[in-house]
Amino acid sequence: MSGQIEAELLKIRSTRTTIGLALGMIALIVLFALLSGLLTKAPHLMSSQDQLGLLSVGSFSGVFSALAGIMLITSEYRYGTIRPTFLVSPRRSRVLAAKLAAGLLAGLAFGVVGQALGTGIGITILDARGITYAPGAGATALLLGGTLAASALWGAIGVGLGAILRNQVGAIIALLAWGFVVENLLFAFVPSVGRFAPVHAQNGLFGLTTKHLLSPAAGAATLIAWTAALAAVGIALAARRDVS
Amino acid sequence: MSDPSVSGVPVVRAESLTKRFGSVVAVDDLSFALAPGTITGFLGPNGAGKTTTLRMVLGLAAPSRGRALVFDMLYADLPQAALRVGAVLEATDFHPGRSGRDHLRTLSRAALLPDSRVDEVLTLVELSDAARRRVKGYSLGMRQRLGLAAALLGDPELLVLDEPANGLDPEGVRWLRDFLRDFARKGRTVLISSHVLAEVAQTVDQVLIINRGKLVVESSLEQLTARVGGSVRVRSPEVSRLQEALSRAQIATSPSNEHALLVHGTTSDRVGDIAFAARIPIHELASEASSLEDVFLELTSEPVR
Repeated sequence: MSGQIEAELLKIRSTRTTIGLALGMIALIVLFALLSGLLTKAPHLMSSQDQLGLLSVGSFSGVFSALAGIMLITSEYRYGTIRPTFLVSPRRSRVLAAKLAAGLLAGLAFGVVGQALGTGIGITILDARGITYAPGAGATALLLGGTLAASALWGAIGVGLGAILRNQVGAIIALLAWGFVVENLLFAFVPSVGRFAPVHAQNGLFGLTTKHLLSPAAGAATLIAWTAALAAVGIALAARRDVS
Repeated sequence: MSDPSVSGVPVVRAESLTKRFGSVVAVDDLSFALAPGTITGFLGPNGAGKTTTLRMVLGLAAPSRGRALVFDMLYADLPQAALRVGAVLEATDFHPGRSGRDHLRTLSRAALLPDSRVDEVLTLVELSDAARRRVKGYSLGMRQRLGLAAALLGDPELLVLDEPANGLDPEGVRWLRDFLRDFARKGRTVLISSHVLAEVAQTVDQVLIINRGKLVVESSLEQLTARVGGSVRVRSPEVSRLQEALSRAQIATSPSNEHALLVHGTTSDRVGDIAFAARIPIHELASEASSLEDVFLELTSEPVR
């Protein structure tokens, strides 16, 4: 099994896809952190919640983790490498389990980079503008730990979604449409349901106190449940379906 | 080759293998067995069900009915499959942005093989120089060889190749033929599919010919050749006497037209000698241009779907 995970980690490292995603993530987080840190008027950056919101720009790493997870499985179907992969390792559930583990690790790495940037830029800007850092150590730790955990889980969610859909473009569109459109509409109109959707469960996990969000513990449990469900369906489908 | 008792457990055994896609029966009740140390040509026109059969043998597709065993096991149950079986199904199964060597390393990691084995197979297929370049810059022939390198990583006992000659230049085809001959000489088994008999006729010991998902012929190459071999057209004013003379020599004939016979399973030399001995005048004697390929086409010429 460790050989299988090593194989998956090597797949992530041996193309330029991952570095491209990482550069995209860095550019986006730096841009958003600078824009919201420099353009937000000081009165709107005084409360602990406002400042945590600024620092949480780093959690954009989750999107890129999910994309990395999607690429890890869908590019195998797209380029046909799924055939040699399954020929060498015919126990497909083990291949998928290794991909999930690799997705978690890659997601964690994205989370570390993203959160370091988000937090670093946010705190530097607050300091430069003479604004006192308000959140307590507990709230800060929750945001940082939550981002790392969520980012790792998004990596696995990407693998699960990709294993279900197989089509690369389809999976990417599904992820972005869900995360940026469907979920926001759901939360806006039916918050009692929308708060259980993955992105909003994640926001609950971060300790953000937007009305209707889940508590950090419930948010964590919900996001883990989403990951486990997508992973289980992805494994079951990959094991059953014919490879063309 | 269908008698496994001769050589122990067959390397591959298909039992009533059947695959349906909706109302289409792609593979229809196919049974065959491959003995160790043989090179089998798996032949049929495009769309005959060759690739679908190979996918079922290799555990990539589930049969609708029947089963395929490799070393007496379902492929999915083979422990360390890469050490027993190597296969190339498509010549293009690579990430274009990954180097050939890294492609092999991802597979060798999963098979728990060292990087040194990767470099060995790269040398074997003469791809060492290009190994660190991205696959997108490879020619089709190089991709074919990279696929073969991947199949050989585990030093397998069975090699399965789907249409390996596609895109190979004549030199590559000869290289592959020599390689497979050498491979089989070590007691290993090869299953190689093609839609062109001529492509594999110089390589294989035996043939499985399928058409529209059904097994049409299972025989050694000699038997198939004998079945075609030496059809001779002979024209004579004394056709019936000639026919008698030939049948006394136990040579089969069939009427061609009023003044000519088709003589099977022999050579024009022999027909001429027999006619001379019987003092039968011959006006024309010609070897028919029938070939293995003609038989193959005849066996598989029904329109496919």
